[in-house]
Amino acid sequence: MACERTATLVADYFDTALGAQQRQALQEHTQQCADCALALEQARHTHAQLLRWQPQSVPAWSRVPLPAVQEPPRRLRWTWWQWAPLAVSCMLALAVVLNVQVSTGVQGLSIRFGAAPSVDMAQLEARLAAFDAQQQAALQTLTQTLMQQQSNDNARLMEAMIDGVIEQLGDSTARSLEQVIAYFESQREQDLQLLQASYQQLADSDYATIRSVEQLAMLVQGGQP
Amino acid sequence: MSLAEQDDALIRAALEGSARAWDQLVRRHETQVYNFSLRLTGNPTDALDLMQEVFLGVYRNLHRFRGDAQFSTWLFRIAHNKAIDMGRRRPQCMSLDSVLDEAGDQVETRWQQLDDAPEQDPQAMLDERQRNALIQAQMGALPLEQRLVVELKVFQSLTFEEIAELQDISANTAKTRFYTALRRLKALMEQDHGM
Repeated sequence: MACERTATLVADYFDTALGAQQRQALQEHTQQCADCALALEQARHTHAQLLRWQPQSVPAWSRVPLPAVQEPPRRLRWTWWQWAPLAVSCMLALAVVLNVQVSTGVQGLSIRFGAAPSVDMAQLEARLAAFDAQQQAALQTLTQTLMQQQSNDNARLMEAMIDGVIEQLGDSTARSLEQVIAYFESQREQDLQLLQASYQQLADSDYATIRSVEQLAMLVQGGQP
Repeated sequence: MSLAEQDDALIRAALEGSARAWDQLVRRHETQVYNFSLRLTGNPTDALDLMQEVFLGVYRNLHRFRGDAQFSTWLFRIAHNKAIDMGRRRPQCMSLDSVLDEAGDQVETRWQQLDDAPEQDPQAMLDERQRNALIQAQMGALPLEQRLVVELKVFQSLTFEEIAELQDISANTAKTRFYTALRRLKALMEQDHGM
């Protein structure tokens, strides 16, 4: 092979991708180059001999792949229970977003969406003040009633006791009795003051308890205290 | 529907689990793959093994076929790689001695087949078988890389660019291998005097 282009030229001759212009150049070269022309002729003959191959029929064989690899790639199929965790997660996320509040009370189960209703603090303070005044008035009335009743009872008891002593001892002891009466009067005044202070302390304690219960109820219902 | 479209439809059905579609797909291409394997290995036993490996590879990778090229092109890419693997694992099954021994056995077998089917032209069938055996023997004398280039160029009609891409070589290297192989085959044919 004297021509250095022979190998490429022969290969190009059998290349179906060769363009018309390149094929024309190839033919022009073989007309001028005896080495390439001879090599091309021999290659064509060899190529033709190879193409005399007669296709053979396929002997019997198993076309089914082995069981280990027979399973084709399956598409992912989701059953309903595989979606359940996702559905629960979505519901919880929705509950958080919508600010769902579930509470139980004396009226049963209640579900509320969104933020708790706002509380008008001025109105609440006014109502509490009115309630406070009402409670104080009621308590004062009660205290006066009790004191009046106690005073009456004590006066009746004292009169009865003085009548009994005068009956038994006569006028000679009138002065002594007056001293005794003065002592009882002073004791009665002291008892009334103590009794009034006790009632006032009891009323204050009850009122503080009621106020605390109200604030606790509002706090449980989600409002501001 | 074109052949390529039929292939695509069969592939889709096979991927969905249709054994019948897979069977049809194999039947459409098995003759081409078997003769490819026969020319490369030189004997029916190894050709059958190679063909089975090729279709097993196709089956395992069928979900990766995107339809960018024709199925037959993709199929012969796998066949090419499997042939190289077999040549590395079992070099003796692609040697010239193996091919010549097998060719002689095939001629004997063919005589037996002619006795069993007297209505066929015995001489024509014998000529056909001998011719194939000679081609197998001559191809078997080539190194595997040259044999593959001849196979892909002469029998599969691939371009040198495609062959170069398959073998991870340059197009010029592929052309040189092809020309060298043709010269060697010519010498072998002249020795045999029959072609």
